[in-house]
Amino acid sequence: MKEIELMILGTGSAGIAAAIEAVRAGVNVMLLDENVKPGGQIYRQFADGYRVIDEKTLGRDYPRGKRLLAEFESIRHKLDYRDQALAWGVFPDNELAFIWRGESHSVRYRKLIVAAGAYDRPVPFPGWTLPGVFTAGGAKTLVKTQRVLPGENILLAGTGPLQLALANQIVKAGGKVAAILEAGRIESWPRLLWGGWGQWQLLSDAVHYLMGIRRAGIPLWRNQIIVEARGDGQVEEAVVAQVDRSWRPKPGTERTLPVDTICIGYGFVPSTEMTRIARCEHRYEPLLGGWIPVLTEEMETSVSGIYACGDCTGIAGSMVAVEEGRIAGLAAARSLGYISPEEAERRMAPSRQRLAGLQRLRRVLDEISMPRPGLYELAKDDTIVCRCEELTLKEIREAIQNGATDMNEVKRMTRMGMGNCQGRMCGPAIQEIIAREKGVPPQDIAYLNPRPPVKPVPLALLAEHKALLDT
Amino acid sequence: MAGRRVENGVKRGRPMEIEVDGRKVTAYEGETVAASVVAAGGKTFRRTVKKGHPRGMFCGIGVCFECLMTIDGVPNTRACQTLVTPGCRVETQEGLGKLEVES
Repeated sequence: MKEIELMILGTGSAGIAAAIEAVRAGVNVMLLDENVKPGGQIYRQFADGYRVIDEKTLGRDYPRGKRLLAEFESIRHKLDYRDQALAWGVFPDNELAFIWRGESHSVRYRKLIVAAGAYDRPVPFPGWTLPGVFTAGGAKTLVKTQRVLPGENILLAGTGPLQLALANQIVKAGGKVAAILEAGRIESWPRLLWGGWGQWQLLSDAVHYLMGIRRAGIPLWRNQIIVEARGDGQVEEAVVAQVDRSWRPKPGTERTLPVDTICIGYGFVPSTEMTRIARCEHRYEPLLGGWIPVLTEEMETSVSGIYACGDCTGIAGSMVAVEEGRIAGLAAARSLGYISPEEAERRMAPSRQRLAGLQRLRRVLDEISMPRPGLYELAKDDTIVCRCEELTLKEIREAIQNGATDMNEVKRMTRMGMGNCQGRMCGPAIQEIIAREKGVPPQDIAYLNPRPPVKPVPLALLAEHKALLDT
Repeated sequence: MAGRRVENGVKRGRPMEIEVDGRKVTAYEGETVAASVVAAGGKTFRRTVKKGHPRGMFCGIGVCFECLMTIDGVPNTRACQTLVTPGCRVETQEGLGKLEVES
């Protein structure tokens, strides 16, 4: 079996930064990512065929991403980078299995850095499975790097500054935003100024986005939430309502808006499938998106030799991810003996300093955007909660009433989380639902045990791994 | 339906023709199947296995598996992760779809 000094999973901001530092230190690196191009979600690049003519219309992340990607391009020839590669499992004795170009591969790594990123927080509410309901991140990718608008008349519902960025992008692309619903209390936004003091780049983004929304005449409705999407086979209207501080709809405040597209943006969930399969210890941190791996100051997990960085270790955005990635890359290089502890510390220092600066802002943003309890009470008895297995809230509740006490028991009784997405879409909500039914905090509910393959893999390719799976 | 494609900022790749449920549709090099379908006004990508409910594009980054379509005869292909190719055949998927087996 091929031996790899350092395996890095993910070419988002964190993975790229880790690769840059490790390669510069002289480490032999293999880098895997599922996408066609490096960049991840925030710095996602255009596919071959597109030609950029006017950068100014592409949003503020585009030039930032370009700098990091240029740094990556300068070392790219020194590492083994495989695009469109699906890493699907970590096994005992440092074995990692992946699929690349229609073939199954297995390698043994000495050190592993997981930079798996995050995905939009799924929130079940009546009608959320109708065509025309997108995640905000999905809509952003479509507009930003495919240059296609998701619909004609678009409602943005959720929380946090990313909604403002998306609204600006849609408007600049010539699309129509009907309104932006902000579930949180914008009254606390001035605190951003305190938290963001010194972080001029991020503050100027916020001001820029708010001004863009005002100029375009898009209504920004505070303390409001989407309670239902309606339509015959596709979205035709949205029911919105005012909410209290717990994000519970106030009865009698419902209104109906005629829209054909709804984008849901309630923050993100860290992708922890790989670190959980690798049996790294995790802790529950609602402010950072839920379950995250427990890390040392140098981004090492509880399993020696496995590091994690970026949004898969807690939602903090690309600027934090880059610095965490650099630290992880340097820590791996040091543990492999390529640089001395003193040299590693010296090279980590600028990243540590930048992280400290970002910390305050992060705290304020997290507090404003953290989902409140009312969010997970929007689903009704007949609302689909597990999208793949088409399970309703009623069916999940019945399993709990029949004795299921955690997610794995609900899974065995109902097939919840056993569909194609493997619990990514239903998991966070069902954890909250069980906790509520049992009257305990969510972190007391054992989470789904992930199993390889972490994403569906063709059976024929899996069969090539028979020996591995037998062990 | 016109106007879903954004005209500013970038120039698109080569135009090509693809087939969506037997209908000829214009797509451009570099687009994902999902983007081309949405640009053509398409909403429903598949109908579910148990209840036959329509589902469309949702997460857009290959995580949710809602945009599964039958592409060039291969069912359960994520439209958001698959780039268009000239003449590719895209079909709305019913349930688990059907695999075309060469005889």
